[in-house]
Amino acid sequence: MGRVEGSPEQGLMTASEIAAYLLGKCALLEHFDAYMFGSTLHGVGQDIDILIVGPGGDLLAQLKKEIDCAGESLPLHILYMQPSEERHTKFVAREKCIPLVQLV
Amino acid sequence: MNWQIRYALASFAREGRSTAEHVGGDVIKIMTPDRPEVLAAITTAETIDQATAAHYREHVAGLDFLCGYRAQCVWEGGAIQYLEENDVGWGNFGTLASATLKGDANSAPHKVYKFSDRLLRQYGRTAKIDREFDRIHRVTLHSGATFRIGMIAEYEPTADEVRSLWARFGPVDIVWNINPNGTPQPAAAAAGRELGCEVMKWDELKDRLSKA
Repeated sequence: MGRVEGSPEQGLMTASEIAAYLLGKCALLEHFDAYMFGSTLHGVGQDIDILIVGPGGDLLAQLKKEIDCAGESLPLHILYMQPSEERHTKFVAREKCIPLVQLV
Repeated sequence: MNWQIRYALASFAREGRSTAEHVGGDVIKIMTPDRPEVLAAITTAETIDQATAAHYREHVAGLDFLCGYRAQCVWEGGAIQYLEENDVGWGNFGTLASATLKGDANSAPHKVYKFSDRLLRQYGRTAKIDREFDRIHRVTLHSGATFRIGMIAEYEPTADEVRSLWARFGPVDIVWNINPNGTPQPAAAAAGRELGCEVMKWDELKDRLSKA
């Protein structure tokens, strides 16, 4: 994976480091399927594209708070989808999304 | 150096057609062959109001462009009016990058909403537009009918994006998917119905306005 610029604290983070950081900071991600896609997988991107697939409601609202906190110093671009939306759009396959857990 | 400055400099370096350097604080200078130099402030503000815009303009002499780096950055109508009246371009990083290459950084509006804003203003039945936010327009027609329209630029608007728009900006009559190639998802349309608005593309919106 290429090295991407930007870090919560001090410097550059690779795609795998970003994945590990998010999984570590956002405990509620265990209830969702989280992926990275786009330019960050290949190097420096203007932002970090993340797809999160899962339920809505309170759990999603709490997850958004965790992600807002984790993304304080990262240009996160988060796309939230219900499982039915992902199935309908085939977004994961079409955009070659990679699960965060595979990037670590 | 702020994180958003590092990202901005890295993006210009990767793209390669312009060179950019950090001037200080939130400010960078961008040089492009045969184009004017651009002095841009890169902010991480999630909402840019008139006070924020005025702060940057007053503290950065010669400011050409104010860039909201976060994907979720929202521009209030007062900020947009202030910047446009003072010859400062505004928008996301993509807007800055393309405006730098075109040479019109100090007049460029946010590229995501540029054409949809223009479409509404040029529509023949429009009498008045109050741009409340970059993506929220209150449109008054010559007939007197008024619509509060929210714009979603995503390729495939999701239910979450419809709900988030409503939660962030309040009730709208219509959610307009402004991506010309976009297709709102059935779940997005259902979310709109639950909230009390309709999700549609331009042709349907134009038809609705024509009958109001």
